[in-house]
Amino acid sequence: MSVLSKPGAPRPRIPDENDFTSRLRSPAVASRVGLWLGICFGLAFLTGLYSHVAQADYPWFPLPTRPVWLYRVTQGVHVAAGAAAVPLLLVKLWSVFPKLFARPPRERRALLLHGLERLSIAVLVAAAIFQLATGLANSSQWYPWAFSFRATHYAVAWIAVGALLVHIAVKLPVITRALRTDLDDTSQDRPGAVDAREPGGLTRRGLLRTTWVASGLAVLTTAGASVPLLRRVSVFAVRSGDGPGGVPINKTARAAGVTVSALAEGYMLSLSAGDRRLSLTREDLEALPQHTAVLPIACVEGWSATGTWTGVRVRDLVALVDGAPDSAVWVTSLQQDGPFRETRLPGNFVADGDTLLALRLDGEPLSLDHGYPCRVIAPNRPGVMQTKWVADLAVET
Amino acid sequence: MTPARALLFLMGLVVAAVGAVELLDEGAENLLAVAVWLAGGVLLHDFVLAPLVIVLVVIGLAVLPGWARPAVAAATVVLGSVTLMAVPVLGRFGARPDNPTLLDRPYVAGWLVLAGLVWACAFGWAFARRQSGGE
Repeated sequence: MSVLSKPGAPRPRIPDENDFTSRLRSPAVASRVGLWLGICFGLAFLTGLYSHVAQADYPWFPLPTRPVWLYRVTQGVHVAAGAAAVPLLLVKLWSVFPKLFARPPRERRALLLHGLERLSIAVLVAAAIFQLATGLANSSQWYPWAFSFRATHYAVAWIAVGALLVHIAVKLPVITRALRTDLDDTSQDRPGAVDAREPGGLTRRGLLRTTWVASGLAVLTTAGASVPLLRRVSVFAVRSGDGPGGVPINKTARAAGVTVSALAEGYMLSLSAGDRRLSLTREDLEALPQHTAVLPIACVEGWSATGTWTGVRVRDLVALVDGAPDSAVWVTSLQQDGPFRETRLPGNFVADGDTLLALRLDGEPLSLDHGYPCRVIAPNRPGVMQTKWVADLAVET
Repeated sequence: MTPARALLFLMGLVVAAVGAVELLDEGAENLLAVAVWLAGGVLLHDFVLAPLVIVLVVIGLAVLPGWARPAVAAATVVLGSVTLMAVPVLGRFGARPDNPTLLDRPYVAGWLVLAGLVWACAFGWAFARRQSGGE
């Protein structure tokens, strides 16, 4: 610290907005990067809402069974938008960093507005970083926190998008002007942005191109978990796509605590509709008419894979206990706990001929981790609701 | 403020309020754990990452000739941001011994290949600038 106390040296102080001299830190750059960042957050929010509603099984929002790949695409887009947003958010924050050191105005009304805007920005930045960090960690099944991921990621998404709308409303004149003028326009820059040499060495155009490349690479290196064509280049994909029957496993039998009950000699599927009750062994199920469907399994965490599933149509099972072909069915797993131990298969899914109680994957009997002795597989349904190790099917009457 | 802008502002407040209610619904214990992460992200960015970038720029300006600066800056932005995104898979923190289909790629090797490609492009660009007499 002796350098700072040398006579004649300037007294150390908190830097001011105008101590940052780079012309790259400009509304011209921030608006352009911000536009794409906003698009990414918008896509992630809408696809996230869809996933939330799909898992909630609201009576006012019956999920369609077609196209079968819909949930696969929306969840793939959700995670890809998050990955793309990482470089965009970092460059966006860099481009506006001097603002953090702006001196507050002295006049009371202006000071109040300044404080409120700062508060909204703090909320926006905190929520944006939070969503990307927790979303990326969740996609790799890493939970280094004490809060509930699903409920919290959902709640903070609303906060992030709300704060984003407020931010856009406040900055609208600056944004529209920046987007309508040339990228190298300096009319909206800080007075301190005087360094024409561009100390980073990049021009504004160079910085933007770099950002687009970084964002594109972020998607390309992760999207292989849901886009089979990209598997080889996606070096950071959470899954290679390998697994028994060509389908990865989300939760193993051991993690679900069903290794004993799923392999038990006396396993029986209990099937009921009101007073009508049946118990079926796996052999009984194999003796029923079999149907094969090629369906994707798409996990909430973003990965997906296509499997060739063979088993009994759920509507045929419903008919065995004299249920209507479009009645909803409650599916219970052998799992002793977990939020998706029991799920409701709505009537339109039961009616669909591709909705199976699957016994086989890719011609082979289901592996224990894929849900042996039998599992539900239905078109366009979130992976967590494709119940494995099924113990009980109860037709809603 | 035009009506459209005011409407956007109000919509933002309503949407954020929905999130705040949802968050409060999860209880005080959840909220406390969330607050640590919300504040932690901002603090890590503002007091660790942003100053680190400034230090890197200062070092780059001191040691790099003009013709190399844009390429090195671009490579650092690309590789730095993509690496930060890949932290969860690079560390394989979520890996489980019972599930070999999760986090089953050689991530560090993948990172080395990516880093090699990015720097190869950057060096190519820098030397092309040098040849053409770019500053």
